[in-house]
Amino acid sequence: MEVTQKDKFWMNFKIYQLWRFIVLNIKILKAVDHSKRS
Amino acid sequence: MTKVVVIGSGFAGHTAAMYLGSKLGREHQVTVMSNRDMFSYIPSWVWVGVGHMKPEKTVFKLKPIYDRMGIEFVHAAAREIHPDAGDQFVIGEEAGTKKPVRLEYDYLVIATGPKLNFAGTPGLGPDSGYTNSICSLPHAVKTRDSYLEVIEKMKRGEKQRIVIGTGHPGATCQGAAFEYLENVHKDLVKKGVRDKAELLWLSNERALGDFGVRGLQARQKGRLVNSAEFIEAVFKDHGIKWQVQTGVTSVDQKKIYWENYEGETGGTEYDFAMLIPQFTGQPVKYIGRDGGDVSEKVVNKAGFVLVDGIYGLSYDVLERNPDAWPSAYQNPNYPNIFAAGIAFAPPGPISKPHTTRNGTAITAAPPRTGMVSGVIGRVVALNIVDLIKRGRMTHHERMSEMVAACIASMGDSLWDGSAVVMVMYPVVPDVKRFPTESGRDLFVSLMEMGAAGAWMKFMLHYTFIWKFKGLPGWKIIPE
Repeated sequence: MEVTQKDKFWMNFKIYQLWRFIVLNIKILKAVDHSKRS
Repeated sequence: MTKVVVIGSGFAGHTAAMYLGSKLGREHQVTVMSNRDMFSYIPSWVWVGVGHMKPEKTVFKLKPIYDRMGIEFVHAAAREIHPDAGDQFVIGEEAGTKKPVRLEYDYLVIATGPKLNFAGTPGLGPDSGYTNSICSLPHAVKTRDSYLEVIEKMKRGEKQRIVIGTGHPGATCQGAAFEYLENVHKDLVKKGVRDKAELLWLSNERALGDFGVRGLQARQKGRLVNSAEFIEAVFKDHGIKWQVQTGVTSVDQKKIYWENYEGETGGTEYDFAMLIPQFTGQPVKYIGRDGGDVSEKVVNKAGFVLVDGIYGLSYDVLERNPDAWPSAYQNPNYPNIFAAGIAFAPPGPISKPHTTRNGTAITAAPPRTGMVSGVIGRVVALNIVDLIKRGRMTHHERMSEMVAACIASMGDSLWDGSAVVMVMYPVVPDVKRFPTESGRDLFVSLMEMGAAGAWMKFMLHYTFIWKFKGLPGWKIIPE
């Protein structure tokens, strides 16, 4: 596995990262909910 | 009126105190005893250590928050706990005056955090050794100053060897050291001196990306990627060398001495080193009614509080028994004593342990910081509320049932910073429920790097400080 130039482009492409920011927040909140959260 | 005492005001203790204060109101008495009168947002110290965040941005006074929540605050370090029935109290030493303070309790939460055991590795640490640390705010500030001196040397053209990782064969918190390493790399690149520095990751992990949790597996671009290959790719891209399976045994002015899995010993030269020490329990005395030592009933040899886990299992057995991990964090001998955060004794390591042919145990200890600490603090507080109001506990959350999200900063800039976002469920692999190689839910597991992570890390700093200040809506922000 290596970090390619294509990977670096997407990691810094702000519009895509804004999308990922929203998705990651939702995923983390879903994961917390998925946990027992007793 | 029931008296609840919380010792410690870190992620676990402060979370427990806030839930206790909000649920018990002024009908009962909640008191926090802590040797620090400030709350510290520890995750941001990786930025303090490279001079990118002012130290005062990571701390705030606790007393005004406790006053608002009806919680009493005693600024004292706990020295003695007298746990025997009928005569249960804590003795503390008041900050400044050093006068003894006595607090009686019906329920006690021990959330003292770790003692940073620099003495466990001769020559380690900023106070009586040669290495740096980011494990306390004064240490992070001192680290920043040493780091900036190193930068000046590099600007003058001097080559510098920077070693970051763990400073004891049984250390934990590899994640914090990893973040610091990546922030140093990014800072050196920005300052145009990266070519003058040799960066080395020196760690007691079995493999890169182990982080004391047996690593992580997640889907990326349709294939399963493990954290070892992921972190290796990041290190290769950033020109960072690594040496894992290595326990640091001592340090002098020029070299870090170590032993590896094969039992080989050696020394690594350094100009600047930030190494995480071993964590042990705080040195509190446990005294019975007759004045005798009852610590064996409360803590293990390392000083961590024994709770409702199953202790003494071999790693192979523990690995197959996620239920051996504690669920209510209640001491079996003194059921009104609970432990939260780093203070509780885990039943064993999550990562596979290793003992060298010389008898040195090199094993990454299980991390119990951040999200895990906060969750345990909440569980403990809600159970105490249950016991007071209903007479029975209804909250249970083992580390083998708990989700954890970690955001490892790789530069704090919102424009060109980055971070690795990792989500694992559960923290302790459960091979019975998730019979995959990793023992975790692959639909939840996540490992991703990019600018979005840097934004999340930045957002978490402000969101958590909001939560820990008990500002409106704090309870809906997950731990």
